[in-house]
This record gives sequence, structure tokens and C-alpha cells, in this order.
Amino acid sequence: MRPLIFFIRLFYWFSLRQIRQHPWRAVTVLVGVALGAAVFASVRIAVHASLDSFTRSMDLVTGRADHTITRPGGRVPEDLIAPLLQNPSVQAASPFLSTYTRTREGSRPFLLIGLDPILDRPLRDWQAREENDLDPNWVRLLSEPGTLIIGSDLARTEGWTAGRTLTLVHRQGAAAFTVLGQLTAEGLGLTENGRVAITDIATFQEFTGTHGGVDRIDLVLKTTHADRLSALQTVLPAGTYLQGPGEAKRGGRNMIRSYALNLSILSFAALFVGMFLVYSLVALNAASRRREVAILRSLGASSRVVFWLFMAEGAFYGLVGWLMALPLGIVLARFLLEGVSRTISSLFVRVNVAGMTLSPLEIFFSLGVTLGVAVLAAIQPAREAMGIAPKEVMAEGTAARGGGYRIRHLAVAGLLCVLSVVPLAGMPGYRSIPLPGYLATLLLFVGFALMAPWALQGAGRRFQPLLRRRAGLPAHLAAGYIQDSGSRTAVSVGALVTAVALFTALVIMVQSFRHTVEIWVHQTISGDLFVTTRMAEINRTWEPFPEGVEDYLKGLPDVALVPNRRFTLSYGGFPFQLEAMDFDTFDRYGAFFWLEGDGRRLTDPLDAGEGVIVSEVFANRTGLGVGDRFRTEVQGISLDWPILGIVRDYRTRGGVVFCSLDDLRQRSGGMAWGGVRIFFRERFMARGDAVVALQDDLRLRFGDRLEMLPGKDLRAAVLKIFDETFAITTVLLIIALVVAALGITTTLTVLVLERARELNTVYAVGGSLKQIRKMILWEAVFMVAVGEIGGLLCGFVLSYLLVFVINRQSFGWTFLYGVDWGALAFSLPLIVATALMAALPAMRVVYRSPPATLLRER
Amino acid sequence: MSLSTTTPIVDARDLTRIYPLGDSEVVGLNRVSLTIAPGELVVLKGNSGSGKSTLLSLLAGLDEPSAGTLTVAGYDLLNVSESEKNSYRREVVGMIFQAFNLLPTMTVMENVCLPALLAGKACAPTADRARELLDWLDMDTRRDHRPAQLSGGEMQRTAIARALINDPALILADEPTGNLDSRNGGRVIELLQELNRRWRRTVIIATHSNLADPCATHQVCLKDGAINDSTCAP
Repeated sequence: MRPLIFFIRLFYWFSLRQIRQHPWRAVTVLVGVALGAAVFASVRIAVHASLDSFTRSMDLVTGRADHTITRPGGRVPEDLIAPLLQNPSVQAASPFLSTYTRTREGSRPFLLIGLDPILDRPLRDWQAREENDLDPNWVRLLSEPGTLIIGSDLARTEGWTAGRTLTLVHRQGAAAFTVLGQLTAEGLGLTENGRVAITDIATFQEFTGTHGGVDRIDLVLKTTHADRLSALQTVLPAGTYLQGPGEAKRGGRNMIRSYALNLSILSFAALFVGMFLVYSLVALNAASRRREVAILRSLGASSRVVFWLFMAEGAFYGLVGWLMALPLGIVLARFLLEGVSRTISSLFVRVNVAGMTLSPLEIFFSLGVTLGVAVLAAIQPAREAMGIAPKEVMAEGTAARGGGYRIRHLAVAGLLCVLSVVPLAGMPGYRSIPLPGYLATLLLFVGFALMAPWALQGAGRRFQPLLRRRAGLPAHLAAGYIQDSGSRTAVSVGALVTAVALFTALVIMVQSFRHTVEIWVHQTISGDLFVTTRMAEINRTWEPFPEGVEDYLKGLPDVALVPNRRFTLSYGGFPFQLEAMDFDTFDRYGAFFWLEGDGRRLTDPLDAGEGVIVSEVFANRTGLGVGDRFRTEVQGISLDWPILGIVRDYRTRGGVVFCSLDDLRQRSGGMAWGGVRIFFRERFMARGDAVVALQDDLRLRFGDRLEMLPGKDLRAAVLKIFDETFAITTVLLIIALVVAALGITTTLTVLVLERARELNTVYAVGGSLKQIRKMILWEAVFMVAVGEIGGLLCGFVLSYLLVFVINRQSFGWTFLYGVDWGALAFSLPLIVATALMAALPAMRVVYRSPPATLLRER
Repeated sequence: MSLSTTTPIVDARDLTRIYPLGDSEVVGLNRVSLTIAPGELVVLKGNSGSGKSTLLSLLAGLDEPSAGTLTVAGYDLLNVSESEKNSYRREVVGMIFQAFNLLPTMTVMENVCLPALLAGKACAPTADRARELLDWLDMDTRRDHRPAQLSGGEMQRTAIARALINDPALILADEPTGNLDSRNGGRVIELLQELNRRWRRTVIIATHSNLADPCATHQVCLKDGAINDSTCAP
């Protein structure tokens, strides 16, 4: 115990007092670490809030069911319940239906659940408040059609109370519902954070037009013995399957997982840049306090004590930075929460996040990562301090400048790191997690950082004579100093390289992605008007059009129709969409964005049902390619097609398989349309009022039962979602750049302070204040120039990794690589300006003390 | 050269220290043999570069000889482990430097206590001992001051207190008056003499000044890294 108390005391005397003597240096580093830690923690909090909300809702809906019966692409026959209840293996069985709906007046969508209030009792907990024992609400749900019980969020946010009549819309149109009461905060009542309502199954089927069918039947089995399960499966009709209740949850979590990881890693970038800051300050302290370390050693302090003193300094920055990050992180998390949940809802699974919770595990994780990063950053300086010999106490003169050695070795090691990116980029990811890609990214950053001292030395050497002639003595002296500064300036340059590289790579990636998505949107999401059944998109269940719609549409003059029918299915645990469509008409007005296969030759075989085409995401997820066979089952019909081509598609993370609607109709004996895209044959009509007139006509005829979106609005909406998704990335990026600028400030300021004697000697022999400030500015120019050029080079390599390795392995999609030189040319000077601004504090500290005092001091 | 026939506190044989300097070498100490008995006050004399500080570094366990043998207070300094050498520096020798070498972030009291605390001694008795030493050195009113707030003489007296905190058998002083005016320099020499006479500490002072000459029990003169008695002649 005594050694520990002594160590804490020594740390206070030796390190903390030093930090207190130079508060602004410490504050700069702490702000950098705090920003990095806040970004890291807030992104994780926001992502986990969405993930938890999804998981909790899925668990609440699943209840105590240990198995569930589903029918891929269709509904389970309701009359299956009676025989199931009589089956000796079944303890309880309950039908379950759900849909998103909203009021006619346009409330936010909410989840409506249809169930049998009696059969559901053994499976799920739910109860209405203020129950009347003689006439409980669950009995009234059964006895009074058109009634529902609402969750607490609906009561609170919409102001709905018992007795209120609501008009809800769905594909069948609109229906009136009466609110019976409010669910208590337990079980189903907590689903989607209380934005839920429960109704009787018969009312639900009437409302949605799903008579005789249910989404699934949840079961509690008496035994889960494999033989009994097999026996139960045999009594089920063809096309229905018995499966574990967690399938849908697993599928959804799989989809979100890599997105969450990618965002976490992106947020880690700011912390990574902060790591350079910690390294920079601890290294500078270790170098500038060599003599003090030698004194400690001469008094009998072991090298281990010295090592731990500097490690503790790193840990101090990590700990205090993390504490400063807490309030900042909570504010940031609130900002990010909406964006993240919206992105997850747009791209993956629908989530309704009411708030966020700080789990102790997450708090300790962010503390652990921040501390770990800070301690890791301190290892090398601490090792260097550990190597200071006690005999240095006898040495005369100022502290030795460290780090100017091994520059070539470091450069070679850096080059090896960069070269190792090539084989890593070719390695496959593990379960949608691009581990080799991330490792390659880390090695790329480390490699460029290690080459920074060599680049600085080279730049200083090469430009010194030229600068003497063109920019005068201050620039010449700056080049000389930069040459000799070694790893001290290189650390900040490394931070800048990292930040600029991230910036460049993400600008290239986002621009490439957007450009590709734009092409895809205008080619593949072509159409003047998109018509689907009401709430189809939000529910991701693609019901057929209400009666009469298909016939009416077929009779419309002056338009070409591309009908479709979609199904949300699962392949190897990953949800995907099967879209049956009319290839021939589509080909006349739109086009797929082909990756493999000849589109012009494939239209006929596709229309004839001789094969399917799959999206790039689906191909990458499943490993299926051109020539492989795609097998699935829809509504009990087994389908088996060869894959004829691969196309780009960015609408869902699960991927899409396109097949012929005519073929599917023939195989199923009739398949109604679920959606249609309408093209005006005369193109000028699409630009006029014809679209609006057609919408009005359909609305007049079919009321609320259809959802219509003009093509240009849909395309704009897709691009808006894209931009919103990357807004988070931009925020994270700006913070990383701020942290890097702080690095430049710290380094320059400390370098100036450290060279006070040297600078004052220059002053004493006739240098003017202006000349010396100019010299410091030139040093900053060198650092920023090398950081910028290195960052650009690193950024281009990183952008390739992001586009072709990390995105492909994480999301399954790639895009056309293109550099938006305009965006880069516009933004890079801004970074240069920001970094040079960072030199201002350093220039201000020159001659804060009278030169004579400094020169007199030892 | 032998200074005494009793069991020596310092026993050096053919002590050599060679420093590499680029492609060449600089001989800091050349085959120096020396024995010092306990209780001596030895003045190492010589010009700048004569090897005084090099010899003192070796005696203090701050540096390692290139050749020869060196035993101080029973420690064979060529064959001790790193941790034994740390203990040696903490407990056997007390070092006083020309540049004082106080830690600037610590107060006088903390600087003085540091070697004892590094040696694992308890805080309270260490503090008592430090106060005692500071009182003796007329530094009792400056205990809570930082080195930057002290005069040169005060800094050196603090360094003396620090050197004594662990009651070392051997006090090594490297140009202790080099950064002081004559009044303060004289006072420091008086204190070192008092340490030797009153408290029976072995003291070795490396200096090129003559201030310590009157109180020396022996003088060792160095020139170009070797003992050369003729250079001691006034």
C-alpha cells in the first residue's frame, strides 16, 4: 500500500504540478480527447438505443412463445389454430397480426396488433388501466367490433383518451375505431415505447382485408424434443414452417450490426486523432523534462517508476478527457439519436426510439476505450523516458532533442505497413464485419504517420535553399528546424495526415456513392407515378391492390404500366425482397444498373421466366453469382431459377431478387399486382399536370386505399435519405479535423515554449519579432503542407478501401469510384487555413517573457 | 594511490571510463586507483575536463566504468543489479550538484523527502527528519517554497538536506560552490566540513576552486583523466 500511496504522491508532485503550470497545453489535449470520447460514446449510445428499441419490441411482441409458425411470402391459414390446440405437443397457440397504421388526419404511424384476447393470455402480458372488473376491456375488445386499447405514448403524444373515435387508414381504406382504454406499462404495452394499439383479431382482419389469414401463430410447446417438433411440422400444410421465435430478431439485428460497427469505428476516428494529441504532449513532456527525469533517477527512482509516471500522465488525460466528455456526449447523443434511428428505419428495420439509457456497461466501455487509447499513446514516450540514464544529471546544457533518430527505420516500417494493406484488402470479411479492411485502415494510418518524420526531414532539406532565396531567412531557419525536429512535429503531422485522409476518403466515398445512387435512382427508380397499397412501404408487407384497382389501371389511356408484386423473404437468415415485375415494359422506360450480364439480351429470357437477376447486395450476402441457382418459396410455391445477371440496387441492406411477374402468375395460378409504376407514353405529359390529374382521379375513385408518389418526389426522397444518412458522417469528420487542428496548436505552442532560449538568442543577435513570428508561421506551413499532401495520398488509398473493401463487406454494395475534384479543391484550402490558424497561439506566446530573463535562465 | 590502511569505503582499481564520440573515443578516466577510508574529507581537484565529474559519476552509481573495479561501502558497482544500484543511490550515497538539480515542481520539503520516500520509508518520520535537517541548514522558513523562489545558496542548502535525508555513508559534491557567490560558497563548504567533522560522514568534493582546500583531509589531483599529484601544488 505504501508504494502506491507514494506513487500517487510522486505523480502529484512531478506530473500534475507540471500540468498545472501549463494549463493551456493540458486543456488543449483534454478538449481533443473529450471531443473524441464524446463522439465515440454518443454514437454508441445512439446506435444502441435504436438496437435496444428494436430488440425490446421484438422480445415484447414474442412474449413467452417458444416457437412460431410462418408462411414465407404469405399468411398462415387461420383455421390451423384449432388442430394445433388439439395437438398433444402444443400447450398454447395464439394467432398474431400486426401492421403500421395512422389516422386519416395524418398522425405519426403506430403499430396496430391484432390478437385473440383469450388465446393470447398464456403468451403475452398486457392489461388495460382502470379496468372495470365486471366488464374488462379485453372482453369488450371481443364483444365490441371496431375497438382498440392504446399504448401510453399514443395517449400522451396524440392526446387520445377512452371513448375517443379515430379514423385509421389501411389498404382497404379507412375505418372508425373507438378507444377503450390505455395499456399499462408492461408487456405489449411497452412495445415501440408505447406507440402501439391492440385490437381483436376479427376487427383487425376486417380493417386490413386479411380474412382467414394471420401473420403467424405463436406457440408454447409442452416439449421441444426434436422428434415432437418434426412430428408437428408434418401436420402443417405445405409452405408453412415451424421456427424459433428469434428468427426475425436475429435477421434484423444482423442487418443493423455492421452499420452499428461501421459507425462506431468511424466515431473512433476522432478518438484515434485524439490519441496523437496525448502522444504528442506526453512525448514533449518526456523530452523537455529529461533532466528532471535524470534527477529522479539519480536520487534512486527506478526506471519502472519513471515509466509509470508517464503512463499515469497518459491515463490522466484519458480519464479527465473522458469525464469532460460525459456531458458533451449526452448532448451529442441527443443530436445523433434522431439521425441514427431515422437511418436505421430507412435502411434496415423500423425502430421507434423514445429515449436513451446510459447502461453501466456502455459507460465502462467508453471509459475503457478512452483510457486504453490514452495509455496506449503514452507507452512510447514513457519507454523513452524510462531509458533516460541517471548520468544525464551531470550533463550540461539544455534538454536533448529527442526523436530525430531512426527516421529511416521508421519510414521503412511505415512503408511496410502501407504495403501490407494490399494483401489485407483482398481478404474476405467475417460475418459482414470487414475485419481485414479495418486492420488495413489502421495500418494505413500508422504507416503514413511513421513516414511523416522522413517526409518532414526531406521537405526541410529540399526546400531550405529555395526558401532562403525566395522567402528569406525566417523561412530558411524554419526549414532547418523542421528538418531536425524529428518525431515531435511528426506526431502532429501524423494527426493531421489522419484527419485529412479521413476527410479526403469520405469526401470521395460520399461523392462516389451519391453519384452512383443518382444514376441508379434516375435509371432504375424511373417512372412518373408510383402506386402501392396504403401503408405498404412502412409495413414492408406487399399486399395486393384492393379489388378493382388493377382493372382500372389497365384501362388507363396514354400510360404504360410496370406492375410488380413484392415479398419480404429470408435467405440464410438475411431478409431480402423478391420483386416480380414486367421486364419488357420496364426496359422501354427505365434501365437496370448492370454489374454483370448483358441487359439488352436478358429482357426476353427474364420475361419468359427463364431466370432471375439479383442485386449486388444479395449476391455478396449469399455468395450466389451468375450461373448459380436461386431457390426460395413463396406462399407455398417452390421457386427455382438460374441467376442471369447482377445489378446495382441501394434500396435495402438485404438485397433484391427480380423475377418475372407473368411467370410467377403462371406458377401460382394468379398473382395480383401489389404496386405499379406508371409511365406517360408522351413524355411532355409527365412534366405537366397529367401526374397530378391522374393522382386526383385515383384518389377520387379509390379513396385512402392507395398510396401515390410522383416519380420525381420519390427520387428526391431517396436522395434526401442518403444525404441525411451521411450528415452524421460529416459531423464526425468535422470533429476529427478540429481535434487535429488542436494537435497543431499544441505542438507549435510547446515547441515555441521549449525553444524560448533559442528564439531569444535569435532576438538578441538582431532578429526582429516579426521575423521570428514569420519563422514560426513557416514551420506551421511545413507541417500543414506535409500533413495535407500525406493526408491526400493516404486518403486516396483509404477511399479505395472504403468503396471496394469495407462497404462491400459491410453493406454488400460498391459504387462507381469517382473523385469530386471540385469538392476537394474547395475544402482542402479550408483545412490549410484552419491548420495555419492553429499556429496563432504559438506565435502569440513568443516573447511573453522578457528576452533577458529567458537568456539568463539556465 | 592509497589514502588509508583501514577498511576503505571506496576502493577503485584501474578505473577507466572511455566515451565513444562519433568514430573516435574520449578517455574520461584512465586507470585510476584510489582507496578512501571512512570519515575522510577528500577534495578532488583538477581543471575542467580532468575527470573529476566522471569519477564522481562512477562513485555515485550514475555511470558505469569501461574497465577496472569499483567497490563502495561494500557494493561491487560493476556487478550489482539495476535494483541494487537504485538502492545504492538512495541509501549509500548523497549527491550534491553544481546546478543544484532540485525538481522545480516540488517544494523544498518535498524535494528533501523524495529520496527517503523512494527508499520506501514512512512519511511521518521522513518529514520529521527533513524538518530537522532544514532547521539545521537555516531553511525552516523556506520549507514550502519552490526552487524558483530560492536563492542559489538556499537551493544548494536544500540539495544538501536532500543528500542527507537517508543518512548516507558517503556524500559526493560536484562543484558545489560553482554556481554560488563567495559568501554562499564558503557557507556550503563549512556545512560539508561540519558533516565530516561532527557527523563523521565521508565527503568527497570535486572542485577546481581552493575554497575547500583548508578543510580537506586529503586531496586527489586529476589531470587528463589520471591521478597526477603534481597538479595539486599551489
